[in-house]
Amino acid sequence: MTIFEYFITLMIILTINFFLPRLMPGDPFLHLSGEAGLEFVTFTAEQREYFIAHYGLDRPMSEQYFRYLSGLLRGDLGFSYYYKADVAAIILSRIPWTLLMVTAATFFSLLLGIFLGSFSAWRREAWQDKVTYLLIVIFSEIPVFLLGIMLLIVFAAGLGLFPLSGAITPFSGYTGFALTKDILHHAMLPVIALSLTRAGGIYLLVRNSLTTILAKDYMRTARAKGLSEGRIRYRHALKNAMLPLVTRVTMQLGGMVGGVVLVENIFAYPGLGRLMQEAVFVRDYPLLQGIFLVLAFSVLTANLLADLLYRFLDPRIREI
Amino acid sequence: MSLPRLKSVKKIWQEMTNFGRIGLLILLLLIFMALAASHLTWHPHNVSSGPPLAPPGKAHLLGTDELGVDLWAQICYGARVSLIVGLGTALMAGAGGGIVGTFAAYRGGVIDRLLMRLIDIMLVMPSLPVMIVLAAFMGSNIRNIILVLVLFSWSHPARIMRAQVLSLKEQGYIKMARVYGGSDLYIIFRHLLPELFPIVAVSMIRLASMAIVAESSLAFLGLGDPTSRSWGLIINHALNFSGIYFTPFWQWWLFYPWLFLTLLVISLAFLGRDLERIADPRMAKGL
Repeated sequence: MTIFEYFITLMIILTINFFLPRLMPGDPFLHLSGEAGLEFVTFTAEQREYFIAHYGLDRPMSEQYFRYLSGLLRGDLGFSYYYKADVAAIILSRIPWTLLMVTAATFFSLLLGIFLGSFSAWRREAWQDKVTYLLIVIFSEIPVFLLGIMLLIVFAAGLGLFPLSGAITPFSGYTGFALTKDILHHAMLPVIALSLTRAGGIYLLVRNSLTTILAKDYMRTARAKGLSEGRIRYRHALKNAMLPLVTRVTMQLGGMVGGVVLVENIFAYPGLGRLMQEAVFVRDYPLLQGIFLVLAFSVLTANLLADLLYRFLDPRIREI
Repeated sequence: MSLPRLKSVKKIWQEMTNFGRIGLLILLLLIFMALAASHLTWHPHNVSSGPPLAPPGKAHLLGTDELGVDLWAQICYGARVSLIVGLGTALMAGAGGGIVGTFAAYRGGVIDRLLMRLIDIMLVMPSLPVMIVLAAFMGSNIRNIILVLVLFSWSHPARIMRAQVLSLKEQGYIKMARVYGGSDLYIIFRHLLPELFPIVAVSMIRLASMAIVAESSLAFLGLGDPTSRSWGLIINHALNFSGIYFTPFWQWWLFYPWLFLTLLVISLAFLGRDLERIADPRMAKGL
């Protein structure tokens, strides 16, 4: 995709975000009836006034739209009445946890996918390949929240090896190394759930592209030169299979963010996904929209960067 | 319709792997559960019929939840929700996406380019957050949830159909039909769509599976239809029960809906993989 198309995509997302509260039938802020299991939320007159002023609902639509965009440019995401704080500030305080989830899961799913994918490719059609393939397919077909619940039940509730919820032990007063250990301990299960479900796509890609590469002439040449097996595998074969991975990892990023939202909710992990569910629960619309924008914007930016990186890495498509 | 490419049921069964066959049997069993829910259950699925949080036993096959509602009844009726969501989304997105893809490829030009850009845009959108926001604003009843799911799944069949039509429209008999004055609509509905029906039908299995997972994910996050309890919503209620892991309740209240949902999704996946391979060997390779 070109930069222009990314820009269009962003504008579509912003426009959806702008119109949603305004297209709700009737008065949006009186209409928020509670549903079964959800807290009933009524807005006070003061809150209503704030919302009407914030969304500028009494102004013409074009002016509202313009004000909305210029507000975003200034980093104004609105005010959360439930938390009584700026949406941007609330989001900023939660972002580190989500970033930890995304980067750790991306790293480990890559590691697992590359390792198992090359293992399978080098033993193609042998029983090791078939067993690995089957296991990976099963794991990648289980939705991440079902896998997460399974891990939680078995390893946290059943065996008691991991904490049940949260990102740190509350009121522990840990510092330094103990704190790091505590954070890693809490992050372990959610990251494993995410990595296992995300590794499948990477595994299949590595397995397929390595199989094609292993049949190429330059592999035979490398063997004929008498290079060691390790050098052939890692320098020649694996290196050439890396390029499509860049695209794959970023294409998966949208799905990864969805997975993080679910996993954070299973493990009550205090990131943006958990916050999003809390916002849904108390019907805090400005907060919900703010989180949505931040997530969508990050995914788009990452995709754009990956596109640029790909062009840099692969000179063949640089002209396009 | 007598089509050369439609294989007989027996032949498909023979070409399937054992995983695909098991998947198909489980799927049929779950569909039967959904259809015959009223005959398979002896307790109501929406009101209390026993002590709260009773373990599985003679009175309640799979136990009860915190309000004393029979879990087996909830799971049987919940299967209906998954079925409606899966089938509804797959049919609407498959038919809609398929037709859009066919027209775009057949007409080419600006329409086609616009469509391809639109599909690119759908690909990079983080679908779950968008669905959460849409469901939160539109209200989470079954109809809205299916609409949101269709909005996010038409692009897959559209892309498949576009690729197929692009290669098919250069075939001799299609060109011939055009020379003899066949209109675009005639060629699309008489030649292209029947020929490509098996491929779209198979991709619908994947759509159904995706829709079922997405619905249960939304329900799990508290955005399910409160009037029809889906499996995801049961899981949501169980997980929101504070301290459920310190009690034995999760052993049935959380476990059984989890088990049925996992069974459904995995059998759909195996069946889908098998049928994809049978319908179009080239497509399976690219997976």
